[in-house]
Amino acid sequence: MKMKKLLAVSAAVAMSATLFVGCGSSDSTAASAATSVAAAAETTAAEAATSAAAESSTTEASTTETASTEALAAPEADLSGTTLTVLVDADTAAEGYEAVFAAATEKYGVKFDIETRVGGSDGDNLVKTRLASGDIPDLTLYNCGAKLFALNPTEYFYDFSNDPIANTFDDTFKSTVTYDGKVMGVPVYTTQAGAVMYYKPDYEELGLSVPTTWDEFLSNCKALKDAGKTAIAGSFGTSWTSQVIYLGDEYNVLAENPTFPADFEAGTAKYATTAAGLESFQKLADVIPYYNEDYTATTYDDAVDMLANGEATHWISLTQALGNMQSLYPDAMDDIGVFAIPGNDPDNCGLTVWYPSCWYVNKDSANVDAAVTFMEYWCSKEGLDIYNANSAAYGPTCIKGYSLPDNVLKCVKEDMQSYFDAGKTAPALEFETSVKGANCEQFTSAVGTGQMTAEEAASQYDEDCKKQAVQLGLNWK
Amino acid sequence: MKKEKIYSIWFLMPAFVIFAVFFLIPVLSSFFYSLTIWDFKTFTFCGFDNYVMFFSEPSLNTSLIHTLVYAFMTSGLKVLFAFFIALFLTSKIRTKSFIRSAVFFPNLVSAIAVGITFTTLMHPTKGIINIIIKALGGSTVNFLGDPNIALFSVIAVDVWKGVSIATVIYIAGIQSIDSTYYEAAQIDGATFWQRVWNVTLPMCAPAMDSVIILSLIGGLRCFDLIWAMTGGGPGFATDVIASVVYKQYAAGFYGLSTAGNVIMLVLISIIAFPLQHFLIKREEALS
Repeated sequence: MKMKKLLAVSAAVAMSATLFVGCGSSDSTAASAATSVAAAAETTAAEAATSAAAESSTTEASTTETASTEALAAPEADLSGTTLTVLVDADTAAEGYEAVFAAATEKYGVKFDIETRVGGSDGDNLVKTRLASGDIPDLTLYNCGAKLFALNPTEYFYDFSNDPIANTFDDTFKSTVTYDGKVMGVPVYTTQAGAVMYYKPDYEELGLSVPTTWDEFLSNCKALKDAGKTAIAGSFGTSWTSQVIYLGDEYNVLAENPTFPADFEAGTAKYATTAAGLESFQKLADVIPYYNEDYTATTYDDAVDMLANGEATHWISLTQALGNMQSLYPDAMDDIGVFAIPGNDPDNCGLTVWYPSCWYVNKDSANVDAAVTFMEYWCSKEGLDIYNANSAAYGPTCIKGYSLPDNVLKCVKEDMQSYFDAGKTAPALEFETSVKGANCEQFTSAVGTGQMTAEEAASQYDEDCKKQAVQLGLNWK
Repeated sequence: MKKEKIYSIWFLMPAFVIFAVFFLIPVLSSFFYSLTIWDFKTFTFCGFDNYVMFFSEPSLNTSLIHTLVYAFMTSGLKVLFAFFIALFLTSKIRTKSFIRSAVFFPNLVSAIAVGITFTTLMHPTKGIINIIIKALGGSTVNFLGDPNIALFSVIAVDVWKGVSIATVIYIAGIQSIDSTYYEAAQIDGATFWQRVWNVTLPMCAPAMDSVIILSLIGGLRCFDLIWAMTGGGPGFATDVIASVVYKQYAAGFYGLSTAGNVIMLVLISIIAFPLQHFLIKREEALS
C-alpha cells in the first residue's frame, strides 16, 4: 500500500519532470544568453568609461557656453561597435533624423537600428505595451506633455536634469518633459502648430482672404465648394488627425476662459459645460459638408499629396506635415500657407502650439551612456544644424541660443511667425495638464462622421478624461 | 479493508497544476483586479465601479450590442452558407477537389492580411468594389466609413473568411451519412429537397452543432479582423468587447480592461453553455 503510493508519487514527479524538460533546455540557453549580455555590458561599460571621460571635459566647456546662451559644441567620444535601437513613428518626417544618424555614424562609429511604428492611439498602445513588457529600445520617439505623463516615464527613461543639454531647453518646453522634477526628453524637432494649411492659388483664384473668424472660414469653404473644389481634406483614415480641429482650437478656448487648463486639471471645468469648449467640438461637425468624398478612408499621406497638388484647399493638421510635404514636393512649398483655427473674435486670432515629440533614453539599457552621448550630439550646434538643414523647421526652436538656418519655409517664416511675434500663441491643452482622454480621436471622428452631436461627444469625452484622471490619482468627483 | 484504487489521485496532479497555474489562478486574480484601479504595481480597491462604468458609458456599452450582432450574424450566415456549399461540394461534380481547395483558401490567410486587403478593396473611391459598382451605374458605398454599414461590411468579410471551416465540418458530417438512407428515401419517391430536408439535415445535426458553437464563440471574441479593418471606428461604430478591452488596456486602465475581460467571459459562458446543452439535447432526441 505504502509502496504503491510512493510509486505513484514518483511516477507523478517523473511525469511533471518530463513535461518541463523542454523548458529546462531553453532555460540554459537563456542563462548563456544572459552571460553573453553581461559580457557585452562590460565591454560597453569600458567604452562608456572612455566616453564619460570625454564627456566630462565637454561638460566644463559647455557650461561656459551655456552662460553665453549659445548652442553646445558636439561631445568627443568613440562609440564604435555600439548599435542603438531606435523606435520612431511613421508620421514624423525621416529626412532630419536620418541625416543626424548618418552624421553620428560617421563621427562616432555608432550604428542605428531603426524600427518604425504607427502613429496615433495605435502607436500609443504599442509604446505602452513595449514599456510594460520591458521590451524598450535605446531611443524612443514619443510625444511630450500629457501623453508622456501617462507613460509613468520616470520608471523607464533617463533623467537629463543634470546633463548640460537640459539647460539649453526652452523653459516652457522643458516643463512639458519634466515629470517629478526630472527632465525626461530631448526635442526631436521644433515647435509646431495645430492649424489650417491651405493652398494659396485657390484663394487667389476665388479672391478669398485669410479668415479671422470661424464663420468667415465656413463661408470660404462654401465658396470653394460652390466653385467645384474640395474645400477641406479630411484624413480620418489616419484617425489621430481628426482631433486637430478640436485640439487646435485651444487658443480660442483660452481666450474666453484663461484659467481653463488649471480648472480642467482640478476637475472643475468640463468641456460639456464650457461654451468655448463645446464650440471646439461643434467645429468638427460644422466642416463635415466640406470634406472630400472619401475622407473616412483618406490617410495622412494621401492628404499631404492632396494639399500639395491643390486637390484640396484646406487641411487642418499638425504643421509637421509641412516637413513631409517638403520632402515630397519641394517645388510646391511656396503655394502653401498656414493660418490659425479661427475663433469668434476677429481681433484675437491666435495659434495653438504643439511642443515637439522627443527622444527618450531607456535608462536600463546597456547602451545608456552611448545614447546620452548621442543626445548631447543631437542638441549640439552641429547636430541641430544637420537636422534643420535636412528637415526645415515647422516653427520656432526649443533650444535656447540656437538660431535656425535660413532654409525655413516661407509659410513658417511669414504666416506662423507673425502669431509668435504678436504673442498670440497658446500651448495645446495636453501640454498644460496631465489629463488627456485616451479615446480623444474616437470621439472626434465620431463627431466628424455624424454619429454624435458636439454635446454628446463633449460630455462623453469629459467622462473619458475622468478615467485618465482617476488612473493618475487626481481626485475628480 | 478499503477497496484499493487502481489509479492514485497523484496522477491528476501534473495536469491539475498546469490547469491551476494557467487557468484558475489567472481567472481568480482577474476577478480581483477587475475590482480595482490598477497600474501593475499598486492597486486601489474601487468595488464595482469598473463594471458600472463599463455598462453606463456609451463609448463602452455600445460594444456589447455590437458584439452580439456580430456574433449572431456571422454565426447564422456561416451556418447557412456553409451548409449549401457543403451540399454542393458533396454532390457529383467534376472539379470537386479544386473547388474544395478554393473554398478553403481564405482560411489560410491571416486575418490581418485579409483585413488590410479588404480595407483597400472597400476604399470609398479607389477600391475595386466601388469602381465596379460605379462602372455598373450604381452609386458608391462607403463600406467602412459609413457608421451605419461599417459593422456589416466587417461581418461580410468575416463570413467570407470563416465559411470554409464550417464547410469542412459539414462535408465531414454529410459524407458520414450512410447512403442507404438516401436510397430508401429515393425508393419512397422523395425529391432532392425532401431528401435534403428529411435525411441530410437531421443526420448532420452534430456537424451543424459544432459549426454553431464554434462560430458563435469565435464571433463573440473576435478582435483581429475588426482591428485590422476599422480599429473599432469610425468613432465607436464597430467596437466590440475585445477591441474595447484592448483599447482600455493600452490606455493604461488595467482595472477597467480586466473588468471588460470578465464581462466577456461571463457573456460567452451564459450564451455558450445553455446553447450547448440545448443542442446536445436536440441531438439526443434526433438519434
